Amino acid sequence: MTDEQRDIDCQEALERLYDYIDGELTPARAEAVRRHLEHCEPCLKVSTFESAWVRFLEVRTRARHAPPSLRKRVLESLLFEDDATAGP
Amino acid sequence: MPGPEHKRAAFEAEALPHLDTVYRVALRLAGDESLAEDIAQEAMLKAYRSWHQYRPGTNVRAWLLTIVRNTFINQYRKAGRRGTQVDVHEIEPYTVFQEVQDVDPEGSLFDRIVDDEVLEAIDEIPDEFRETLVLSDMEGLTYAEIAEVTGVPVGTVKSRLFRARQALQRRLYDYAVEMGYITRRDG
Repeated sequence: MTDEQRDIDCQEALERLYDYIDGELTPARAEAVRRHLEHCEPCLKVSTFESAWVRFLEVRTRARHAPPSLRKRVLESLLFEDDATAGP
Repeated sequence: MPGPEHKRAAFEAEALPHLDTVYRVALRLAGDESLAEDIAQEAMLKAYRSWHQYRPGTNVRAWLLTIVRNTFINQYRKAGRRGTQVDVHEIEPYTVFQEVQDVDPEGSLFDRIVDDEVLEAIDEIPDEFRETLVLSDMEGLTYAEIAEVTGVPVGTVKSRLFRARQALQRRLYDYAVEMGYITRRDG
């Protein structure tokens, strides 16, 4: 068994919780966290709560779009830049 | 050598689709819509001018956001932003969960909070923590991409993200209590 596959305790599981939720752990480390959560109800509850929290942040902050006037301004500035740098 | 039409077509196809991201990040950095538009436009123009430095096939979004961040820091930071209010250094892990676990273990108290209040609370987090949270949770960048954009090690990204998420959670929990969405546990 490698170091990444060994059983982990509550402290380690909670330290890695956001990495786990964000999909940032190696498969072996993610599996170790998953195994811990399967057997530890208190940690599973924290995980459920924090997963919902991260999803909440994603859903609530991504809706906004650039105003159409900005898109127009950017396109105009590119054209202007082309004209300014074009040789005679 | 490709002409300006070729360059513009490539830029419009690869960089311009990220304008929403560029604007959203600029808005959360600057905290002001008009400043955010100026930053976004300036950053897109800088990106266009240095398009020859972009290597096709690499991460164009992270490249653009690095330019947005530098533009904000070098030219706009002094103009925008009120003082920060949330102290991220006194954050203890998972305390909101500990307070609500008996009455609201899945955190549905947050569902009643409107988007504007969430964004306002994000704006109160100190710069380096806010930008990390915005890049991660708003824009979905990986830790490695955030490290590239902000120029810090991945370990720093992780600790900033942890503190930012917990500080924001605490801030919105206090707001939910204030609004009567949930009753604070005694003791």
